[in-house]
Amino acid sequence: MRADRTPVTYRAGGFSPRMIQALGAASFVAVIAALEAAARLGWIGPLSFPAPSAIGAALADLYRSGLLAQHLGASLRRLAVGWSAGVASGLVIGFALGVSTFARSLGLPWVAAISAIPKIALLPLFIIWFGIGEGSKYATIAFGAFFPTVINTFGGVDNIPRNLIRMGQSFNLKPLSIILAIVLPGTLPAILSAFRISASIGIILLVSAEMISAQYGIGAYIIEQQNLFQLDRLMAGVVLLMAVGLAVYGIIAVLERWLLRWR
Amino acid sequence: MTFSYRVRSVLAGAAALLSLQAQAAEKVTAGSLTFVSSAPLFIAQEKGYFAAEGLDVEIKFFGSAQPIAVAIASGDVDFGLTAFTAGLFNLAGKGALKIVAAQLQEVKGFEGSHILVSNKAYAEGVTSVDKLKGRSFALSQVGSSFHYMIGQLGEKVGFKLSDMELKPLQSVGNMLAALKSGQVDSMIIVPQYARALVNAGEAKSIGQIADYAPYQVGGLFASTRNVETRRPMVEKFIRAYQKGIADYRAAFVTGEEGREQVLASVHKYVFKDEDAKAAYPKILSGVMYIEEDGRMDAADIYRQVDWYRGLGYVDAGVKAETFVDVSFVKPLTQPPAK
Repeated sequence: MRADRTPVTYRAGGFSPRMIQALGAASFVAVIAALEAAARLGWIGPLSFPAPSAIGAALADLYRSGLLAQHLGASLRRLAVGWSAGVASGLVIGFALGVSTFARSLGLPWVAAISAIPKIALLPLFIIWFGIGEGSKYATIAFGAFFPTVINTFGGVDNIPRNLIRMGQSFNLKPLSIILAIVLPGTLPAILSAFRISASIGIILLVSAEMISAQYGIGAYIIEQQNLFQLDRLMAGVVLLMAVGLAVYGIIAVLERWLLRWR
Repeated sequence: MTFSYRVRSVLAGAAALLSLQAQAAEKVTAGSLTFVSSAPLFIAQEKGYFAAEGLDVEIKFFGSAQPIAVAIASGDVDFGLTAFTAGLFNLAGKGALKIVAAQLQEVKGFEGSHILVSNKAYAEGVTSVDKLKGRSFALSQVGSSFHYMIGQLGEKVGFKLSDMELKPLQSVGNMLAALKSGQVDSMIIVPQYARALVNAGEAKSIGQIADYAPYQVGGLFASTRNVETRRPMVEKFIRAYQKGIADYRAAFVTGEEGREQVLASVHKYVFKDEDAKAAYPKILSGVMYIEEDGRMDAADIYRQVDWYRGLGYVDAGVKAETFVDVSFVKPLTQPPAK
């Protein structure tokens, strides 16, 4: 009976993943070093993958020529305008689908059908509707950011425990108060994850959006280097997109910590 | 059933014979676009010029020039027939492929690419080439032949590339649509499209590029590996290609000799989903100049590489002498002395 008396340690810690920044950074350094070594030793030919040092040199050239700021500026502006428009309209529609039977019955089939369209397939139409200027570029990104926001938002509204809403209704709260005090905070985690996904999609769509008639922009630069078969500069553009992606994730993580501090 | 057994054995015998023949002929693949500019390749295939050289040529089709060059570099195709681009020079400069013969050429006195302006720009006074300065110009991609042409034109009539607002639109279809709707002011395009636009009143032609800047548009490419290790095969391929050019020139360039027959060969590849009555006039309007025997304007190819390098579109290390190979076909102009 001695076993019965052995004290049981606390087991229900759950999985509690933490973020060790240094580990993530170290993995970047390791991969870059390995690629550089493989290139220097001739294991990877320059036609297969450019050496990280060549990519770095291409980035340095871009910076020195002053084009880096122009490309980044053009792309960030398109991303900001297109993404904001897509997310703002996505939030409105997403909430509507989340709370209203009528909106859901009418809108959900459309969302399901249209969200599956590869946005790039519609590029010729966007050009006719919005012209070859900035309009079609904003529209492409907005369109891409819209759907994940809608889907995540109404999913988030759906996942709010019914009891909380019922409790609010029992206490005779007005529908607006229920939305502001219960639904909105409860949906925030889903909305933030929608921000993440839609920002990634927006960055991906930069390349499609800037295919047509863009003189500046990271996407335009990448397409140009594809056509010129300049792999080091192509990868320099890809690294810039990765950097934008990391920065956006960083910003959203800060936002998340601040908005979800009540958790 | 004995009947089906007999049929089967006959078929098996025939298959064995065929495979023997196929083994005897050397397998070669060539990458091409379904344009009239690749006609000599199609003629050589249809008239059996490749077979006569003991080559079993499979033609693979691509959507644009760049993937052909990449396919040669990766070893997926042995030859490519397409226009020069900065990207192609970069690939060639990395040692992947060589230019061994000529394709299209823009020459004075033979209809080639037209300089078109939109009706809107024309109404605003862009009625001659020198007035293009400061206007927008549609091109497919940065570093494409359109880019080179507008640069050369500017040098001849007095404007800089930086004076122009260049609009990369990725495809000829987009370029045509943008010009028609007046979203861009100008473009330079092959006669096939130029004539259709002008005849429909959707754009105005203000000249031909060859009157200002004649140049070597494209060439026949071979992988460096083939040039170095299978030279006799490359020679055979070029001989058959030259016979295709001879037929093309006889039918389209110097006269109309055997035109019907040549049109029939080309029609098997170009506009093949349309009947002959509709397709033949289109093929004829797509005809451009190809030099006898595929002799190339080597000096101009050097000039193109230098021009792109000057703009930073071709790597500093890319040297034309490493990939312009004039050892197969006597060139029209000699490369510059070192």
